[in-house]
Amino acid sequence: MELTRRDAVTALTAAGITATTGCSGLAGDTTGDAEPMDTLVGLAEVLYPSDVEPTAEFIETFMYGRISDEESYREELAAGIETLNTLAADEQGGAFHTLSADQRRSVIENTDLRSGPSEPDGSDVARVNYYLLDELLFAFYSSPTGGELIGNSNPRGYPGGFGYSPPLEQ
Amino acid sequence: MSTNESTTNESTTMTDRTPVDDADVCVIGAGPAGALLSYSLANRGHDVVILEAGPRFDKEARVDRMKDQLHPTHSDNEIWDMGGERDEYSTSGEHSWPINQRRVKGVGGTSLHWGSVVPRLYEKDFEMQSRHGIARDWPISYEDLRPYYAQVEQEIGVAGDDETPFLPRREESYPMDPLPLSYSDKLFKQAGEELGVTVHSMPMAINTGAYDRNACQGYGTCQFVCPSGGKYSADIHVRKAEELGATVIDEAPVQRLNHGPAGEEITEAVYRTPDGETHRQTADTFVAAAGAYETPRLLFLSESAEYPNGLANSSGTLGKYFMGHPPAGVLGIVPGENTHQDEYGPVVSGGIHQFYEYDNPDDPQRASVNMFTINAAGPSPATMAMESDAIGDSLLDQVDTQFGSTVGINMSIEMLPREDNQIGIDESTTDNHGNPVPDVDITPGEFARKGQEKGLQVGSDLIEEMGGNVVYAQGTQTTEHDSLGPLGKGGYHPLGGTRMGSDPAESVVDPTLKTHDLDNLYISSGGVFVTSGASNPTLTIMALSLKAADHIHDDLQA
Repeated sequence: MELTRRDAVTALTAAGITATTGCSGLAGDTTGDAEPMDTLVGLAEVLYPSDVEPTAEFIETFMYGRISDEESYREELAAGIETLNTLAADEQGGAFHTLSADQRRSVIENTDLRSGPSEPDGSDVARVNYYLLDELLFAFYSSPTGGELIGNSNPRGYPGGFGYSPPLEQ
Repeated sequence: MSTNESTTNESTTMTDRTPVDDADVCVIGAGPAGALLSYSLANRGHDVVILEAGPRFDKEARVDRMKDQLHPTHSDNEIWDMGGERDEYSTSGEHSWPINQRRVKGVGGTSLHWGSVVPRLYEKDFEMQSRHGIARDWPISYEDLRPYYAQVEQEIGVAGDDETPFLPRREESYPMDPLPLSYSDKLFKQAGEELGVTVHSMPMAINTGAYDRNACQGYGTCQFVCPSGGKYSADIHVRKAEELGATVIDEAPVQRLNHGPAGEEITEAVYRTPDGETHRQTADTFVAAAGAYETPRLLFLSESAEYPNGLANSSGTLGKYFMGHPPAGVLGIVPGENTHQDEYGPVVSGGIHQFYEYDNPDDPQRASVNMFTINAAGPSPATMAMESDAIGDSLLDQVDTQFGSTVGINMSIEMLPREDNQIGIDESTTDNHGNPVPDVDITPGEFARKGQEKGLQVGSDLIEEMGGNVVYAQGTQTTEHDSLGPLGKGGYHPLGGTRMGSDPAESVVDPTLKTHDLDNLYISSGGVFVTSGASNPTLTIMALSLKAADHIHDDLQA
């Protein structure tokens, strides 16, 4: 399934949240090219289930749309991509977003990404875990799209579904 | 961040934090105990200044705080920037007591992270000695407070069911219709019908659409962050007080209160500001509304030649008869059942008050039990995902396996007042201003422990009746307290320590909440509670604050 901006914006707007920014607001200003968003989409492709096709639009809305301090995040994003690319170069010989999906998985599995600490003020890798990987996971598993895959259309952290209370199954 | 540093507060170093001229009332604390009181007085034309130790938080950043709440890295105290040297404290008692995970310093105070469950105290809670021969009676009755309860419910917006069984009698309707029972509430209700246990709706300070703030949007994170603002928090009435002319000085911790030569009246509150300056706020009347931990500490720190054991402590009871509501919780898994956790929005909508009254009123052996069924039991899907090392399909499988079949009940339990349970100060440890920190000395009581046992048994029976397996059933006030998870430990609902009474020899404040010792010093706080009951106390704290506001108004008029 493709995660689209239209679906995401509709969902968040209905719930009272408007995406505060987009590529040009966060990722675009970092380097002036598409690499930040390519990196995030490349990460999401291996973090999210295989049936899901992450898009820049989804990330803009569900991840960026819930970041209020854009300036701080922009700095963390730039630093995180640099760290990620260093790990990718050491492991697979290229920038993260240029690698195949298998190579990207390999980078994660052979480093402290995911398995190591995730801390806002920790090591370089701990900050990548916190600001990039966990932000992407939060975006997905607190969205209706991620929630529906586990039978829950309004997971915690997503503003929707107030008062939803189906009848008991007899 | 763990030392009160935040990039998401509205406060800046450019803010004018100099004292207000000719203030009628100086309120210390911008939480629930100070907000409505300030609004009530400002609404009657009084010049009010509020000194708040913490910052004014940026509402837009609540989404970030909500994400901190769901991120497995952060502890509860970090969500609202509690911790560090500013908030140091000691626990000299038998148990640890995680108070920084239970309170917030800032405009709105601890209501920023409360669960917004707002039952009133029961009639019996005010008359424990005369009815049951234990503890002591309050100098006021439920009937004295009833109009103020109704007033608070109107002000903050409470959704509740007038026909709810067990809850104290009321003569006024709730301002909003009750929240509907959630799916898991209905599971508990169905199981309860088999066991003779009644599950009912709980009164909640959540806007369903009738009030002049955002309606609930269903984040499911009420405790500890409501990004939408549908949950009532006291910053709402601080803002309303400001619109009526009140002044709020944030990041201005009061260091001490000074009195005049005769020791009969407070003359000034001495406070510090982030630029290192010391200021002195004068006023006709002072209200200490800094919470049940900090208010006794402030009075101890304000000792003088006339009050060598602490201000307003001629009775020697300052800090004593301290209580909390020991928490307890039951968590279960119902195999094969989608319990629709998280989907409903508000974390609480149902509860059980059947065991609030005693089994044998003539010989109560256990505490009152206030149970609420939880709509977000266990970790969220996002938390599970971030906690795991897995990725892709295997991560989805993990989350799918772990999430979706939990049910849970949390409860708060009555605790009897005891002289030896107390808040003091620890002279050996100081805060960021060099002041000795509060010290909590509280030990278990059999009465509370038996209340917990009752609640845990009822909760476990209900889960087993619905075909579930109980995976956790514990409460604090046991020898295992220190090994409990953060949510299971004490520290909730601090009460007592500046108790109310008619006899100046046995209490700190009189029935109007004025201190017996000083003519112009009031205390608005859970600290004035004589007994704890089991109901979540904030509604009562706010009702008492409105009653105090009436008395202060009368004083000022005179």
